[in-house]
Amino acid sequence: MADKENEDSQKAASDRKASLVIAVAGNPNAGKSTLINAMAGTRLQVGNWPGVTVEKKSAEFEYSGRRITMVDLPGTYSLSPYTQEEIIARDYLVHERPDVIINVVDATNLERNLYFTLQLLELGIPLVMALNMYDEAEQKGFRINAEMIASTLGCAVIPTVATKGEGIDRLIEMAVEFADPSKRYSSASASYGEDIEKAVQTVVENVRHRGGKPSGHEALRWQALKLIEGDELVLEETGISEDEVFLEKATHHLRKAHGEDLEMLLADTRYGLAAGLTREALQKPEKRKRELTERIDAVVLNRYLGIPVFLLSMWLIFKLTFDIAGPFTDWLDAVISGPLTRWALSLMTLIAVPDWTVSLVTEGMIAGVGAVLVFLPPIFAMMFFITLLEGSGYMARAAFVMDRMMHAIGLHGKSFIPLLLGFGCNVPAVYATRTLENPRDKALTALLIPLMSCGARLPVYVVFTGVFFSAYAGTVLWSLYLLGIMLAVMMGWIFKKTLFRGEAPVFIMELPPYRLPSVKNLLIHTWEKGKHYLIKAGTFILAISIFIWFGLNLPWGVESKKDSYLGLISQAAAPVFAPLGFGTWEAASSLITGVVAKEIVVSTMGEVYAPKACEEEQSEALTVGEDLKEIGVSFAGALGEAAKNVFSTFGIATISAGEEDTTGIKAAIARNFTPLSAYAFMVFVLLYVPCLIVLIAMRHEFGTWKWAGVAIAYQSILAWTVAFIIYQGGRLIGIG
Amino acid sequence: MTLADLKPGQSGEIVKIQVAGALKRRLMDMGVVAGTTVRVEKVAPLGDPLEVLIKSYKLSLRKSEADKIDVEAVA
Repeated sequence: MADKENEDSQKAASDRKASLVIAVAGNPNAGKSTLINAMAGTRLQVGNWPGVTVEKKSAEFEYSGRRITMVDLPGTYSLSPYTQEEIIARDYLVHERPDVIINVVDATNLERNLYFTLQLLELGIPLVMALNMYDEAEQKGFRINAEMIASTLGCAVIPTVATKGEGIDRLIEMAVEFADPSKRYSSASASYGEDIEKAVQTVVENVRHRGGKPSGHEALRWQALKLIEGDELVLEETGISEDEVFLEKATHHLRKAHGEDLEMLLADTRYGLAAGLTREALQKPEKRKRELTERIDAVVLNRYLGIPVFLLSMWLIFKLTFDIAGPFTDWLDAVISGPLTRWALSLMTLIAVPDWTVSLVTEGMIAGVGAVLVFLPPIFAMMFFITLLEGSGYMARAAFVMDRMMHAIGLHGKSFIPLLLGFGCNVPAVYATRTLENPRDKALTALLIPLMSCGARLPVYVVFTGVFFSAYAGTVLWSLYLLGIMLAVMMGWIFKKTLFRGEAPVFIMELPPYRLPSVKNLLIHTWEKGKHYLIKAGTFILAISIFIWFGLNLPWGVESKKDSYLGLISQAAAPVFAPLGFGTWEAASSLITGVVAKEIVVSTMGEVYAPKACEEEQSEALTVGEDLKEIGVSFAGALGEAAKNVFSTFGIATISAGEEDTTGIKAAIARNFTPLSAYAFMVFVLLYVPCLIVLIAMRHEFGTWKWAGVAIAYQSILAWTVAFIIYQGGRLIGIG
Repeated sequence: MTLADLKPGQSGEIVKIQVAGALKRRLMDMGVVAGTTVRVEKVAPLGDPLEVLIKSYKLSLRKSEADKIDVEAVA
């Protein structure tokens, strides 16, 4: 009886599977992510593919009583095993074998897209083609015979306009229908010609004979083709060596008739089929209009205008990112450090918790939450503009215009934008490296970002130049920014010769037509990225800010910050800075706490040089909740202000209590530094380790601490060396 | 003659790709295969890379790569 039931349910399952997996694959710029958004809507989940930082989107939903899992594969041009994206896509298709593939095809660029479709068909998985941007193709006067494509390739072809949601329902309906094993549509993939098909047959028989069918029966054809091509990954996976007798035999005739390069032969064959089918199925108008893209490019890529247009658009994006984000940041900061903290305080007074708990909650936890939240506005703003740049097609042009210059220091044309954003704040800049596809370019760019002097370092320069260089403050400030850029060029060159030795990745990039991205998609994308930051990086930042609070307040009952664990570490570290002209524990402790956020250097100095004034302020602040954000001396207050000052560049000077503070600090700085050691100190602040949030962003973006570690190591050495040269060199020639 | 020798506005037919391995594979995936017609559209403002029209879409590549693609000029 039980057996019978089991049998029945198995039969039912084979007729109509209760859950289906749909994989969405296609070329970059074919509108795949818009289509996914249209299909999945709010059910979309964004994460990473395991082990890599390539984004993975998926969605689960019910469709006519069945559980559908939709997986978005990275946009690729082929299934070769060379880029991260290609390996992910093909591993998923070969090993997970989804029930059906939705292949998103750009209807305005049929031929090259069909080349990828043919590769997908080799896998033997039912395929439904979304002939996307159909409206655009129609506008161009294209007439596409979808029926002919469908019957030639043995798949379904649905015209879609993802931006308007047209054809989406029909697409899902067809995908589900095609996935049904009971109605198994055989995708009788187009023949590759007698010679190749014969060789495939021989290889398939031999592989089957060996009992090796690791990726299922249907994939045998794909496997055979890859073996003929000499694909390293498939050779490795199947354990078949390239000079295996049967393989030699099978390809012997091919080699004799078509030359030794079988990989090229297969590519030619697929392109031949794609071109033939395009000729048959696509009717283009006789007279071609000069397209919008060409008219825009005539200006944007113009020999003389190209660079000015690029610089202007970059200036706009930089301004907008930080100007839009600024007020929100201030607002968030005010809410957290004002009312939120006050409420927490009243609550804690009410239930009479010990003082240390009050301090932990306000200075450790609430301030930590604040530090996470204040970065949200610039990250949202930056993601919005980056998505706009990519979606509109300008990003590829920006890379095209800048590549020559960036290539000279071992970078990619697209590296320019993250580096530029670094001058505002390094944190969104690190996230902006995701526009770079190649892991090497991405890592190298991220490593150089901290050398771009961000807004948080400015308060430090302002205080020090105010004391020693007020007559020529502008020149001193510029010299620091310039030094950072020059050292980035130098480090780029050094990294190219050491850590990133070997062949630089090539620059072979499509310049997609200009398109207006839909607001809805822009917002979805921006929101997903921001949410990701909040959850992933946010937890780290919170944990570390609590950890630092303990460092400043342990051992229990510590009176002065000098005796806290961080104070003790500072005392031990001070001699390291002696050859640089600032070997005091006060300087050391401000540098150590400055790792949290660089402008904390100033507030820590206020605390350690003038602790009495600060204590008074602290007690006052605790009674008057409104003034809480002005504490500025405790780690927590500074952490809260930190992010604020990143954006309101001269922030420290505009806070009234801060002004009093800086007067005290300025006097102390004047006593403890010389102009020379002050300059060395500023250079050190410019160069030494990136702030914690940047390090966490690097960890988050790369999925490993490796690059954050490299940044800490090289920047520490660089900062010490350059400050040493400046201080000791200056002394040699008699300055200071 | 290679693709890098063509001036903007000039077309050529690809004869052979003089590279191997990943780079060749990448070029092939982007439609750079023998027998295909390619037209140089633009040179970037700083002199490199190139923009070419191939298989009715626009591709950009550096001169160093274009130099390894043999073409025959088409009138």
